[in-house]
Amino acid sequence: MDAQGRMALTRYAMVADLRLCVGCQTCTAACKHTNATPPGVQWRKVLDIETGKFPNVNRLFMPVGCMHCADPPCLEVCPSGATDQRADGIVTIDYELCIGCAYCTVACPYQARYKVDKSAFAYGKTPTPQEEQRFDEGRLGVAQKCTFCSDRIDEGTAKGLKPGVDPEASPACANACIAKALHFGDIEDPQSNVSKLLNENVWFQMHDDLGTNPGFFYLWDEGKI
Amino acid sequence: MGKLNDAVMSDRIPTICYQCNAGPDLLTVRRENGVAVCVEPRFDAAGIHPADGRVCVKAFGLIQKAYNPHRITHPMKRTNPKKGRNEDPGFVPITWDEAYDTIASKLKRIREEGLFDASGYPRVASSIGEAGVPVHHMGAFAAFLVAYGPMDNGYGAGQGIQCYHSEHFYGELWHRSYTVTADAPLCNYILSLGSNTDASAGVTGVWRGAEARSRGAKRVQVEPHLSVTGASAREWIPIRPKTDAAFMYALLHVLMCEHPISNLDVTFLKQRTASPYLVGPNGYYLRDANDRKPLLWDETSNRAVPFDTPGIDPALQGTRLLSGIEVGPDGKEWRHEQVEARTAYDKAKDMIQHHSPEWAEKICDVPSDTIRRIANEMLAAASIGATIDIEGRTLPLRPVAIVLGKTVNNGWGGYQCVWARTMLACLMGALEVPGGTIGTAARMNRPNRTRQQAVKKGADGFMDQALNPTEQDKYEMRPKSRNAYNVLVPLSLDSSWSPALGPAHLPWLFQAKKHEGLPPYTLPDFWFIYRTNPSISSWDATFVAERMAEFPFTVAFAYTRDESNHMADILLPDAMDLESTQLIRIGGTKFMDQFWAHEGFALRQGVTQPPGEVKDMTEIATELSRRIGILPEYNRAINKGVLGVRLSGSGFDFSLNEKAAHSVEEIWDAVCRAASFEVSESHDTDGLDWYKKNGFRVQPYSKLEWYLYPAIVDEGLRFELPYQERLLRVGHQLRARLHEHGIRWWDNQLVEYEAIPEWSDFPALWERAVVGMGRKPEEFPFWLLSSRSMQLAWGSNVGVQIMGEVAKNVTGHGTLVINEDRAAELGINDGDIVEVSTPKASTRGRATLRQGIRPDTILAIGQLGHWATPYAKDTVTPSMNDLTPISLELTDATGSSASLARVALTKIA
Repeated sequence: MDAQGRMALTRYAMVADLRLCVGCQTCTAACKHTNATPPGVQWRKVLDIETGKFPNVNRLFMPVGCMHCADPPCLEVCPSGATDQRADGIVTIDYELCIGCAYCTVACPYQARYKVDKSAFAYGKTPTPQEEQRFDEGRLGVAQKCTFCSDRIDEGTAKGLKPGVDPEASPACANACIAKALHFGDIEDPQSNVSKLLNENVWFQMHDDLGTNPGFFYLWDEGKI
Repeated sequence: MGKLNDAVMSDRIPTICYQCNAGPDLLTVRRENGVAVCVEPRFDAAGIHPADGRVCVKAFGLIQKAYNPHRITHPMKRTNPKKGRNEDPGFVPITWDEAYDTIASKLKRIREEGLFDASGYPRVASSIGEAGVPVHHMGAFAAFLVAYGPMDNGYGAGQGIQCYHSEHFYGELWHRSYTVTADAPLCNYILSLGSNTDASAGVTGVWRGAEARSRGAKRVQVEPHLSVTGASAREWIPIRPKTDAAFMYALLHVLMCEHPISNLDVTFLKQRTASPYLVGPNGYYLRDANDRKPLLWDETSNRAVPFDTPGIDPALQGTRLLSGIEVGPDGKEWRHEQVEARTAYDKAKDMIQHHSPEWAEKICDVPSDTIRRIANEMLAAASIGATIDIEGRTLPLRPVAIVLGKTVNNGWGGYQCVWARTMLACLMGALEVPGGTIGTAARMNRPNRTRQQAVKKGADGFMDQALNPTEQDKYEMRPKSRNAYNVLVPLSLDSSWSPALGPAHLPWLFQAKKHEGLPPYTLPDFWFIYRTNPSISSWDATFVAERMAEFPFTVAFAYTRDESNHMADILLPDAMDLESTQLIRIGGTKFMDQFWAHEGFALRQGVTQPPGEVKDMTEIATELSRRIGILPEYNRAINKGVLGVRLSGSGFDFSLNEKAAHSVEEIWDAVCRAASFEVSESHDTDGLDWYKKNGFRVQPYSKLEWYLYPAIVDEGLRFELPYQERLLRVGHQLRARLHEHGIRWWDNQLVEYEAIPEWSDFPALWERAVVGMGRKPEEFPFWLLSSRSMQLAWGSNVGVQIMGEVAKNVTGHGTLVINEDRAAELGINDGDIVEVSTPKASTRGRATLRQGIRPDTILAIGQLGHWATPYAKDTVTPSMNDLTPISLELTDATGSSASLARVALTKIA
């Protein structure tokens, strides 16, 4: 069951293998290309984390973004109904409904939401042809975040393709990953790649004590970071 | 501007990314309404490309790179005759006609007057950067360079200090390995001393490394700071900088002195190395007096026999009384009767026995128990005796490898490190076999389509290596380049790459100060610079920029304004990666970590229209050739295969008419057709249009070609280790030749020509450099190091916004990384502005405090400090390149130093 009490036949989720991620930010850049985010907005990014004291130090890289929680705090606080959740678990924002109050941005424990009020471009006030082609006024003054590339998923599944298997139906970040660290799929399908990864490895969810039940799982031999 | 999801006309264009020497990789660019909007992997290359068609983060900068508003879009000329960092060049736009005429008239006159000046140096010089990668961007300009005639390619832009210099030179000598890697798909244990492959080895390096870790391979990372590559290692060992040779000597000690020899790969040592060769009292192989072949002791017949005697069982150890001759420098011979001769293996062991883990502990600041454990883990992982079937051939399987990074494998101590690494591999039989330490590509030895092709039988049972001659009757005292590579560095060989590999920093030094014995230094009358920025990337970058300002006429191919074209007289705007046309070879094996089971060709093609009057390099090359009057020579060079494939041969002829000026499309169509013929076993002749649609074409490539061992066995050869008899002789001869010509300023470098390389206190060299600058070492208690940025390295990415943005996610970019506890002692907080300084130079940046760095070490990532490049100049970033002086004292025998300096640390604000 999802937050709205709907029967979940599919729940899309991301699995990040922290043993493999090298922090290269290829996923970050691929997301920026695919979703045309402006400078400073990174729906997907990779944190560079260090634990321990010299000389017993661990450094690891942790992909983050919207966790597409099963019980998303952002949805609870949204006064306009702009934030919603699809039957497949993807948390969405309707830019037409969003009033830009930023309650969701504050409520998100994963700092996954951005709000941009003014247009910004890579090289000052004038957009490059790439930015001009892809600029979306509708994203100004509203909350924005990772969509799990839901448009790709929808277009791909409409063609009979399988998210997490067929690149055309999968998020750009997982497609682009060069370390085999990011995996996407349906965790309700026991045969999916992500279900197998979760069955065969030790994993954790970020801030699982908050009860949000993120749709983003981290593989890490030593348990929780 | 519309909305993101408005209806658009969308298409996808296949092309390649070759921004760094870890490429090329395949990709597609999605266009909307003709505008490039999105880089995507080439998913249909799964199973062909080693990373299933992925590209690394740098490829995602290509679109902004093309659309960068700071680009030079018209030819420009300088109006201010004064040159220098603080001089405004006063560039003004000119027509291509004026640019061509200015350049062609100068080059034509030089060609008519004579290509060499009174000192014998080429009057025209050219520098291309990025480890030769620009050759894969310059279209047919390579044919122009060939057609024009000899140029001086020896002005460096940081090579030597920024590359794997000792690995290049000794790696090619020992195993045709310009760079060295682990056979990741089969390796189970990788010892990495500072090899930052997850930042430097491109998408294939990351992909293969991740696959290895997935199946349980262990990597141990030995380095002063915990790099991005160290992050995914099983273990980090924070070694003191520049002591890696001591660490590896201690590993050798454990294997050679703490294990019975039977625990090592005795068969490999006996049959595939020179370990059993006997060394006479003067340090040269004891040879048969008749056939002059090195002798070894046959335990079957109990007598000394030439090394290539069939059916023998060579003794690896022992000293025996024998007769024979030694052949020393310049034909000197010693005839011996019953003289002591010791095996090369024992000679190495004699040296190594002094270097126990306990000895190394004090030098490296690594516990002896750790060193001993690592050595034993490696030996256990080697699985000596195991074999594997590769395409029907049984080969040894030794899944253990040792890889080295920058500052480890270049500069003083680099020889010791690469020798120790290669020796470790030999002891375990893990050199050039599946699972082991293997080379990537041969660059200096030719032919080199495959490394195996570069294996030629030489003297004494080793591969031939055409060192620059040092014998009295063959020595060439006249430098072929102003860096005198052929005079000073026999190991640099004399291929087309040699000038750029030689001591490429020396011309800048010679320009500032006369050095006895060489012809008088002259400035080149004309200098081309292409995709290189010596004013930033050189060691002693400011000094080099000052020298560049003294050049009389410089033509720079220019993407944006930068610190080097700031000194130029003409700027020529050339097409960028997504705008230009070139067919390149892909597949086979190539550095840094490209190992394909296919080989073939891929097309880089125009995805976007170049802005303004930007032109494709091929068009520029053709027009310059026409105006200079060398069109026949230019077309002939293309026909002969300078662009990667001959245009005619048995059963095909796509040759260009030598007298005509051909369009970009005509030239590459001919190249594409010849390539198709080669890669289709003579079935197809598809041209440019086919590659524009499909992108690439390949045929199978044997995995047996990944390893040199089969060729060594087939030729009946041995790896030239452990004893460097040839180099010992060459060193003596070189000393004699140089002294005969009054050159004594290279004497320190001659120390490196040791048959068994001894440990020396290498870190002390950098401390002595401080003393040489009139200060005390204790005033400069930190080591300053640099580290590769995957995001910003190569490809002019410092001026690309998206690259800078995502790079900031990786800690340390644009800052100085300092140990957190040490910083606390000094009252430095995270984000404070600090200055690091040598006695002569300093750089500033914000402090980043981390635990993953030694307390005596400071890290500056990348090569930054830009002051002219748009966008990059607006970000205040530290650069250590000004802090590493160009000096003979810090130059090793191969002509390299290390990106390393002793510095003081001061809090500014």
